[in-house]
Amino acid sequence: MDRLLRDYGMIFVLLGLCIVFSVLTLEEQMPESNRVADQILKAVGKQNNKKTSVLTIGSSNKGSSTLAQQLEIFLKEEGFNSVRSVVGTPKDLRAVLDEMQTDNSFPHFIVPSQDVSKWRLFEQLLEKYPGSEKTQIVIPESYLWPNFLKKSNLLAVVDRIVVIAIMAIGMTMVIITGGIDLSVGSLIAVSAVVGTSIMKAMGGLEASSFVVLIGFLVGILFTGLIGAVGGLIVAYFKVPPFITTLGIMLMGRGLAFMITGGFSIYQVPPALTWLGQGKTVGIPNTVVLLVFLYIAAHIFMSHTRLGRYIYAVGGNEEAARLSGVSVGFVTTFVFLISGLAAGLGGCIQASQLNTGTPNMGLMYELYVIAAVVVGGTSLSGGSGKILGTLIGVFVISVIQNGMNLLGLESYTQQVVLGSVILIAVLLDKARSGGTFSGFFSRRNIIGNKDK
Amino acid sequence: MIRLNRFLSTALRISVLVVFCACSSNSSSSKGKIGMTCMDLTNPFFKLIAMVMQEEASKYGYELVPLSGDQDAAKQNNQMVDFVAQGYAAIFLNPVDSKSAGEGVKRAHAAGVPVFTFDVQVTDEEASKLIQSHIGSDNFQGGRLAGKSMMEVTRDQGKIAILSLPRITSCILRVNGFKDYLKENNSMLEIVAELSGEGNRDDGYTVTTDILQAHPDIVAIFAINDPSALGAHSAVVKAGKEDQITIIGFDASPAGKQAVYEKKLYDSPQQFPRKMAIGTVRSFIKYLEGEDLPSNNFIGCAHYKYEDSLTDESRIKEQW
Repeated sequence: MDRLLRDYGMIFVLLGLCIVFSVLTLEEQMPESNRVADQILKAVGKQNNKKTSVLTIGSSNKGSSTLAQQLEIFLKEEGFNSVRSVVGTPKDLRAVLDEMQTDNSFPHFIVPSQDVSKWRLFEQLLEKYPGSEKTQIVIPESYLWPNFLKKSNLLAVVDRIVVIAIMAIGMTMVIITGGIDLSVGSLIAVSAVVGTSIMKAMGGLEASSFVVLIGFLVGILFTGLIGAVGGLIVAYFKVPPFITTLGIMLMGRGLAFMITGGFSIYQVPPALTWLGQGKTVGIPNTVVLLVFLYIAAHIFMSHTRLGRYIYAVGGNEEAARLSGVSVGFVTTFVFLISGLAAGLGGCIQASQLNTGTPNMGLMYELYVIAAVVVGGTSLSGGSGKILGTLIGVFVISVIQNGMNLLGLESYTQQVVLGSVILIAVLLDKARSGGTFSGFFSRRNIIGNKDK
Repeated sequence: MIRLNRFLSTALRISVLVVFCACSSNSSSSKGKIGMTCMDLTNPFFKLIAMVMQEEASKYGYELVPLSGDQDAAKQNNQMVDFVAQGYAAIFLNPVDSKSAGEGVKRAHAAGVPVFTFDVQVTDEEASKLIQSHIGSDNFQGGRLAGKSMMEVTRDQGKIAILSLPRITSCILRVNGFKDYLKENNSMLEIVAELSGEGNRDDGYTVTTDILQAHPDIVAIFAINDPSALGAHSAVVKAGKEDQITIIGFDASPAGKQAVYEKKLYDSPQQFPRKMAIGTVRSFIKYLEGEDLPSNNFIGCAHYKYEDSLTDESRIKEQW
C-alpha cells in the first residue's frame, strides 16, 4: 500500500483536479422524460385527457430530441389523443408554428426541452403568433450535474489525449534510460503525411481499407526506422540524445513539408476514420487501443528481462554494461519504440482529422515530456512507471479539457497549464522526500553535513 | 520529517485548488454559451473580432467563449469537441485548416450544435453542407479595388510586381481580382514578377530586394497584405527608389493605415472585421428565430487612401 502510494501518488492530484472541475462545471441538465411527464400531468391536472392537446419540442441535440419523442409516446400511453412532437432546428419549428397559425390550431400545452426554451423564436412566440395566447408553456425542471462528469465529456477527455498518451509510452522508456526524444512531434507529421500520401497514391478516395492499413504500416515503420537510426547514433557515436533528436526533429518537420509541398493531404479513403473515430461495442477504438498498449507496456517494463535492462541502463550505465547488458542495443531499442509510438500517434491523428497535414504535432514533444515527468519518471533516468505516465497524461488532459469547459481564455490556459505542471512535480518531490523538503527542513541539512 | 512532508503536500494541494478557483470567474447563467475558435488569437485581427462578437452576443444574452486554435488543427478540433460536450448553443468557427476542420463540424452537427464560419470557409465537401452560414470579406472584389488604384497611380504605364501568398485561398483571390480588373480594362501594365512574400515583413523585404535586382525599372508593387507591403517598402527605401516605386497593400491593418497616412502605401483595400463579427452573431440570432440564412455572406472591401486616413479616428487609436 505504502509503495503503491509512493509510485502513484500523482493520482491524488488527478482526483483533486477532477473534483475541482466537477464542482466548477456544475450546471443545469436536461431531465429524464418520465420525470417531465409527471410534471406535465400535474400541470394538466385531472382535466379531460382526451381533449388536451400537447406539442413537445426538441432540438436536434440527442438528449433534447429523445426527451421530446419519449414524452410524446408517454403522453399517448396516458390517454392523450392529440400529442405531437417536433424535432429539429428553429426553422423546422417555425414551419410547424406557421401552419398552426393558419389553421388556428395551437395546442393547450407546449413543452419545449431546456435548450429549445432558450430559442429566440420561442421567446417571441406571443409577438409573432398571437393565436398562441391561450397556450400554456411547461418548461421541464432541470437538475444539477457537472458537465465535466457527463459520459460524453469523460470519453472526450480520453479521446483527446490518446495521441500524446501513446507517444508517452515510448518517451517513458527513453527517459528511463536517461535519454530524451525531442523528435516525436515532428515524427507525428512524418507518419501522418507518409501514410496519407500512400493512400492518395493508391486510389485516394476510392481506396479500400487494405490500403489504409498499408499506409499506416508504412508510416509507422518509417518513423520507427528514423527513431532507430537516432538510437544508433546515440548509442554508438555517443552523440547526446538531446542534440541527435533535435536534428531529427528539424529534419522530420522539413521532410513532412517537402512531401506535401506545404499542403494538407485530404484525398483519403473513408476507411481512414475507423481508427480515430470508430467505435467497438460502444467504446471508441482509440480508448481500446490505449488500454491495450498500456497493459502491454506495463507488463513489458515490469516483467520482462529487456524491460528491466532499460531501468538498469538508466540507473547506472557502466554497472549495467559490466553486468552483461548490451547497453547499445537497449538504447537503440527504446528510440525505436519511441519512433514507432510517434508513428502510431501520427496515424491516429490523421484518422481523427481525416487529413495528413505537415504542421501536425507542433510542440507535442513538450507535452509528452511534461506528461512523463508529471507521471513521476525522473529526467535523470533509472526510475519511472508506465502507469505513472498514464496518470500524468490524464492530469494534462483533464486540465486542458476542464479549462475549455470553464471557458478560460487561451492565454490564461497556458499560464495555468504551466503552473499546474510545475506544482504537480514540486508536490511529488515533497511527497517522496526529495530535495524540495530538504530545502525547507533544517534537520535534513544538518543530516547532510554529517555525511 | 514525514509529518512535515505531509503538511507540505497538503498545503500544495490546497494551493492548486486555489489557483483553479481563482481562475474560474463565476459565469452568470445567461441564455447559454457560444464557443468561438479561430486560427490565432494573438493576431489583432481576430482579437478584435472576438471582442466585438463578445459585445454583440451579450446584447442577446449569450456569453461568448473565444479560444485560439494556435495554428494547430488537432487542437482546434478538440476545442470543438469540448464545446459540443458542454452543449453550447452554437460554434463560431474560423478554421485553422479548411479541410481538417470538417471532422469537428461533423461532430457538432451530429450533436445538434449549429456551426457558423467566418473569414475562412470550410472546404471539406461533406462538412461544408453542414455549416449554417458563412461570412467573410469579398477578397476578389478587394483585389479589383487594388487593381483600380494600380492603374490610377501608374497612369497605366510601366512594369509592376506582385507579392503573393499562394498557400492561402483568400490571398489567391486577391491576386485573381487584381489581375481580373487589369484584364477587363485592357491595361498596358506588364507584370514582370509574381513571388511569394509569405505575408510577412521579412520575406516581403528579401523578395522585393531580389525583384529590384532583376527589374530595377518597376514602377509599382501590389502586396497581398500590409506586412509584406511594408517589407517591400523597406526594400524600396533601401534601394533609394521611393520616388520611382508606389506600393499598394491590403487589409488596412493598424500599421497599414498609419503607412497610408505617411504615404508609404498608396492604397490598402480595407476589410471590415467588425461587420464580420456582428454579422456572425446576427446570423446565429436569425437562426434562433427560425429564419432562412444565406449560405454565403460576402462583405465588400473599400479603398483606404491618404484622404481616408486623414479623417479616420481608428488610425489614431491604432484599431482596425
